[in-house]
Amino acid sequence: MLINAGNIGKWSDKARTELMIKSKRLSQYGIFRGQIIAALCALTLLAGCSNGVKYFVRKNTDFSGIQRIAVMPLENFTTDKYAADKMKSMVMIELLSKGMDVTEPGQVISAMNELKIRSVDRMSVEDMRNIGRMLDVDALILGSVETFTISRGISVSYPEASIRLTLIESRDGLALWSIWHSAGGADFWTRHFGSEGRTLDEAAREVVKEALGTLF
Amino acid sequence: MIPTRKYLLSVLLLALFIVAGCRSGGVPTYHISEDIDFSFYKRIAVMPLNNMTSEKYAGDIVRQVVISEVLASGLLDVVVPGEVMSAVNELGIKTVTSLNARQIKSLGTALGVEAIIMGAVEEYGMVKAGSASAPQVTITLMMADTGTGSIVWSITKTRGGANFMARHFGARHETISETVLLLVRNAIKTLAY
Repeated sequence: MLINAGNIGKWSDKARTELMIKSKRLSQYGIFRGQIIAALCALTLLAGCSNGVKYFVRKNTDFSGIQRIAVMPLENFTTDKYAADKMKSMVMIELLSKGMDVTEPGQVISAMNELKIRSVDRMSVEDMRNIGRMLDVDALILGSVETFTISRGISVSYPEASIRLTLIESRDGLALWSIWHSAGGADFWTRHFGSEGRTLDEAAREVVKEALGTLF
Repeated sequence: MIPTRKYLLSVLLLALFIVAGCRSGGVPTYHISEDIDFSFYKRIAVMPLNNMTSEKYAGDIVRQVVISEVLASGLLDVVVPGEVMSAVNELGIKTVTSLNARQIKSLGTALGVEAIIMGAVEEYGMVKAGSASAPQVTITLMMADTGTGSIVWSITKTRGGANFMARHFGARHETISETVLLLVRNAIKTLAY
């Protein structure tokens, strides 16, 4: 509705009053609507944006052929001595829950000892083939834990976990899938209203679940 | 009335700019050889990065992200890190963070790669700005052609710090993992152009 102020003078007092009331209501509605839009914009800005998960999948790979997997010990780049072991267990549980056949961790260690593989970061393609043959698995999962900690932010502390996982075909040592993913940070409610956020364990589970969710 | 409002608005905007400050951290410094056809590079190796920080694993962490992001970009295939270390040992290379042209060529032959990525992590951690602390990471990456041993791409980039919205309005600031990921992702993007 357009209000032309120039026309008001030609109308009766009653019509003028009604028009003034309507105009006032409209103006109030306009302000109210503006406030909502401004609040929504601010909320969006304050909430922050999340980054999409970006990962690698080798072209023309048929993952249905991968049934039996060995999860190798993860490299630990954190100050938490057991971070890699904890995350490895989460990876194994997540794979099992997706119906995969996962080799016993003890068997993996025995095979590594037998093949004289001292550290996972120095495993060559030949080592991968040998361990794959010995454990009779279709693929190996290698990776590392980069963050597993409670970080201190501007005003609050928050859990943070990040992981890199790579699925390697045991027959020829080719990387079929690879991802680097992180989870954590203080959410809107924790930052502004002090609500209890996720625990470190929950953030770690989330990162593993989301990462493996891109694979199976 | 109206001129007063305009004046007030201008003062407020000016104050906002002063408080927000100027940032140049997001602008990368990079070099790319214009006479090189990058479609020639199909397979590369990422060498261990030189860690210039007090964070023990900063080099390893950034290296893992670089490998993952190069693969995820779909631009290049990357050699398994263990294979790189085997080749380094076989060739008797003592310092992997400062390779000469001859060593670059030898690594290329041993690993069957057209290029190698080297680099350094110069900053990795939380920086304090007043009462606030936020993650900040600085990296330098270089790609060397294994045929000639020369650098064909290099970039230095910083990301992090608490932004204006985070400092004053409690907006979410990045975690250090997100800072590293976005820093490396944006650096790799310059390789695609």
